[in-house]
Amino acid sequence: MEKTLKASGLVKTYGKKEVLHGIDIEFRPGCIYGLVGRNGAGKTTLLSCLTAQARITEGEVTYGGETVWENTKALSEICFAREMSQVLFSGPNTYKVKDYLYAAKVFYPHWDEQYAKRLVELFGLDVKKRISNLSKGMLSMVTIVLALASKAPVTILDEPVAGLDVVAREQFYKLLLEDYAETQRTFIVSTHILDEAATVFEEVVFLDDGKILEQGNTDELISQFHYISGKTEDVDKAVEGMQVLLQEVAGRSKAVAVRCDETSLQQVQQNHTVDVSGMNLQKVFIALTNSKEG
Amino acid sequence: MNGVLNEQTSIYLQIAQMIENDILRGIYLEEEQVPSTNELARVFRINPATAAKGVNLLVDEAILYKKRGIGMFVSTGAVVAIRQKRKAAFYQDFVKTLVSEATNLEIDKNELLEMIQKAQNEQ
Repeated sequence: MEKTLKASGLVKTYGKKEVLHGIDIEFRPGCIYGLVGRNGAGKTTLLSCLTAQARITEGEVTYGGETVWENTKALSEICFAREMSQVLFSGPNTYKVKDYLYAAKVFYPHWDEQYAKRLVELFGLDVKKRISNLSKGMLSMVTIVLALASKAPVTILDEPVAGLDVVAREQFYKLLLEDYAETQRTFIVSTHILDEAATVFEEVVFLDDGKILEQGNTDELISQFHYISGKTEDVDKAVEGMQVLLQEVAGRSKAVAVRCDETSLQQVQQNHTVDVSGMNLQKVFIALTNSKEG
Repeated sequence: MNGVLNEQTSIYLQIAQMIENDILRGIYLEEEQVPSTNELARVFRINPATAAKGVNLLVDEAILYKKRGIGMFVSTGAVVAIRQKRKAAFYQDFVKTLVSEATNLEIDKNELLEMIQKAQNEQ
């Protein structure tokens, strides 16, 4: 019953511009994924391709082994809650919130109407309002209501917290975890705000410039990255032969970000007079994207 | 279960440590149930898999045990086991750090011992 969403060799071009360069990725059932990337990294394009909302140029996307393209049954099990906009191509988005929710109710077979009502109340959303009259925060809330109430086995949220303040962001991740505890469905959440998100994601995918920079278990990934600081000569000696991602020099002292396994880290701690400290997910992301560019 | 998570150690290790702290302080008594992974996940806003990893660490060390279909419980003898384990780490994490910082500050052996005695008397 539980199915894997999978992309292999996925290439997407818009006109002559290639946006995704051969992506291989698998989203296994019952896991919360974070899709992290800078603006313009291709997050929304990737999610659109995964949900057959954009035609892929090369490669394939499958759900439970079947292609998702024009596969109504597969697509009814995958909810893609896009970032909403106050305007459509033709002008202001004059649909009302309730029209949006009604459309979702018709489309998603697992839709939970009671849950949707509870969430609308919790967020204080006025369902009679037109989308064009909603604030940024409210737009995010509609996206979240739609995604959570869809109860779709694979639920994808594109930048759900971008318009939310810090209190609402916490509230969203709490709701997400409560729902996950109950349903154990797959969530894919794209974001560039990592503060509260890092501990929620079991797996994380870093997307950069249309390519996957890194993917894996969040904890395991973070535990490979460390800051090493101290006297410049000591630090240089300690990190000899290691992959240095970032470095900062201030007078005689130096701090570097490295990626290494536990054994080499222990050796550093035993044989050198340097300070070693951990990193958070945001720092890891910055170190990886920067070192690639620098 | 209280406290805040920091970014220096892996989250699952911190979860295991917090449960241990609460057992040492008598917040969870031996043969009593500890919060479920879903409760831990909700309280700390972390992924349930991470919370489970922390709890399972303590199961592996026989500090917690699983009652099928009910939840996780504190083993008999858990307090002693935690103390023993922490004593081993105490030398590595505290005593060595203490001595190294004392060396940095040019505090000699006698002065250091006096300080330790003073701190003990103040307790």
